[in-house]
Amino acid sequence: MNHLPSTLTWPLKVVTCSNDILLSLQVKFTTDVCPPAESVHQFYDDFDSHLWRSDHLLCKSAKTDFQLYQNDQLIDTIKTARPVQFWWHFSEGLLRSKLKKLTGLRAILPIASLDLLKTSFLLRNCDQKIVVRGSFTQVIGGSATHCYLTLEPLRGYQKEFDRAVNIIQASVLDSVNDFGLKFLLLSTNSLPAQNKLPEKISIDKTMEIERAVRVMAVAMLNEAQRNVEGVISDIDTEFLHHYRVGFRKVRSLLALLKKALPVTMIAHLRAELSIIAGKTNKLRDLDVFLLEQERYRLMLPVGFENGLDELYKLINSQRKREKNAVATYLASEAYQTRISVCLQALAEEPMFETTLAAKPVLAVVKKLLLKRYQKMLSMSRAINKQTTDEEIHQLRIEFKKLRYLIEFFVDLFPKKRVHKLLAEIKKVQTVLGDFNDYCVQIDFLTAYMDHSKIELTKALSGLIAILHQKLIEQRITAEAALVTFFTEEMTIEFNLQYGAESMEKVGESV
Amino acid sequence: MKVIACYSMKGGVGKTATSVNIAYWAAKSGLKTLLIDLDPQGASSFYFRVKPSKKQWGERFFQAYEALLKHIKASDFENLDIIPAHLSFRNFDSLLSGLKKRESRLKRILKGFNKDYDLVILDCPPSISHLSESIFIASDIVLVPVIPTTLSERTYEQLLDFFKEHKYPKTHITSFFSMVQSQKSLHKATIEGMSQRYKTFLKTTIPYSADIEKMGEHKAPVDVFAKSKPANLAYSELWKEIAKLIKS
Repeated sequence: MNHLPSTLTWPLKVVTCSNDILLSLQVKFTTDVCPPAESVHQFYDDFDSHLWRSDHLLCKSAKTDFQLYQNDQLIDTIKTARPVQFWWHFSEGLLRSKLKKLTGLRAILPIASLDLLKTSFLLRNCDQKIVVRGSFTQVIGGSATHCYLTLEPLRGYQKEFDRAVNIIQASVLDSVNDFGLKFLLLSTNSLPAQNKLPEKISIDKTMEIERAVRVMAVAMLNEAQRNVEGVISDIDTEFLHHYRVGFRKVRSLLALLKKALPVTMIAHLRAELSIIAGKTNKLRDLDVFLLEQERYRLMLPVGFENGLDELYKLINSQRKREKNAVATYLASEAYQTRISVCLQALAEEPMFETTLAAKPVLAVVKKLLLKRYQKMLSMSRAINKQTTDEEIHQLRIEFKKLRYLIEFFVDLFPKKRVHKLLAEIKKVQTVLGDFNDYCVQIDFLTAYMDHSKIELTKALSGLIAILHQKLIEQRITAEAALVTFFTEEMTIEFNLQYGAESMEKVGESV
Repeated sequence: MKVIACYSMKGGVGKTATSVNIAYWAAKSGLKTLLIDLDPQGASSFYFRVKPSKKQWGERFFQAYEALLKHIKASDFENLDIIPAHLSFRNFDSLLSGLKKRESRLKRILKGFNKDYDLVILDCPPSISHLSESIFIASDIVLVPVIPTTLSERTYEQLLDFFKEHKYPKTHITSFFSMVQSQKSLHKATIEGMSQRYKTFLKTTIPYSADIEKMGEHKAPVDVFAKSKPANLAYSELWKEIAKLIKS
């Protein structure tokens, strides 16, 4: 197509000068001004800002209309009269499927609001033909009020557009790029803090390992702590999940690099963190089972519904109790004190009490990775048909630790190779994780067996039988995945990547 | 992209009014539409208040589609652009007679718009000429307004014969009755007779209406100033029928 200049938008020098601009345009054009249209835009996102980070905006502009924008272009509108909190509360359509993909189990929460007052106008030539379209957008959001002028060129009327641009130049500041809802949210500082990316922890390869562990552990604990309010308010199950992941990572970090920190401190921290994490185990198990509800229902044939309903009623009431207990604990002074003590201890300056403490981080981590790989390799080689499920689980835990260790220090390694390796590890972990899940689910359901409740026991027996069959099949898959992973090439890769550096200073203490 | 030519060998049958209103409804339905005013009188351009450039550019019209691009103008309506007519278009026939492969020239040029438009509407001048041959080859539908009178019937038959003689596919021709005065017995009888004889007629008829004449006064499609009037409803219905044809 022939070249058409882009629509341009400028902030007004003086918020109130829109009428003056229209008067100046009237010297060369006839102007048609539409009545101002007022709208309130309420924006929604999940706690992790999945929509914002993927260039989507979910916005409610009238009482019942939800609109989804992608790159500032409206892609779908859904009317809904009932309150919505998750993607599944919306009716079928593009908006729902996008939210499903982007937000998953996350609740959709109001994050910001903008009040817009838009006055559109037309510029006509002497034939009364529209030659330029324009609008003033006044925006009130966050702590600021701004007014913008937009002029849109029309094909074939470039000269008229240029003339209008010349006329308004004296009243506007420099033009802005990408004017739209996203721009307005940013320019009015309307976004909550979580929409800004968290500061990245900077670990240098020469940093002393104790210092690095302390910095990382503090950041991880703080990250976990961000979820506390969401867990207490029970907004969605992901708050608890992320809270637990945060704690698991800190505990893994401290376990993997325990020799980097003072002995007494590490013992105290590990004990404290274990107590805190333990308080949420039961609630997470119940959440997982409830989230899998549909899958369990599909497993059983018709006739088992009553038993399943009874089971879910029981689990739901248990969850309610357990959630209250967790919320009470997290809101308690005891918890606050415990977590503060841990954070304070970790935030202290390094003491360099252990022989490893002052060693450079990269060398320590490399040696540790190699050591863990070799341990896992020998564990894997020992697996045969007689190996207990417990030993397979142990190997799963080792895989998790290995992955965490790489992820903690991922920036210290060559990007392409380390991500390829992580992908390989994740593949095995998924298979081993599924195997573990079946075991956990069987144990979980077995605990609800009550022979005085016939329907319930019938449903449980059915589920356990099916899960047991899946467990047997998954064991074969898990063993095959281990064989696929532990190849000669993988051992060479580990030796090359993590064994090459001189270890003389690191010693045998890792 | 589909191409509809509003064509009749006869003048004053409502070609321009049809082009303007059909283009308007097509654009309103969401189709990216380009109206090309091939009639040097420039009536459809006038109805959209679009003036041509002062340059004599008619002789470049059949050179390449890029030559046309420069002359596209936005209408006042979303999705609707126009290439206004220029007086130099009156020389199209002599221009085409000097060109090789003149019959397929227009088709090749219009192909260039494939990515940017869903529909091109050609408002054609009333004649049988090299230009009209080019139009017949370029169009998916040749939309023919027919006033239900004896003379118009004769002209319509001449057009069909011309198509037969030159072996253009007759299925391209779609017609409708225009400027209908249902109180006239001649109109009634002609509609009845022609509808039975020819299967090319759409169901919708466009009434003879002062509102259509007022398009010149308002310089706009009928919907803009006579929304609830029969003429406007008729054009809306006519577009619905054409839209179905385009889809099929």
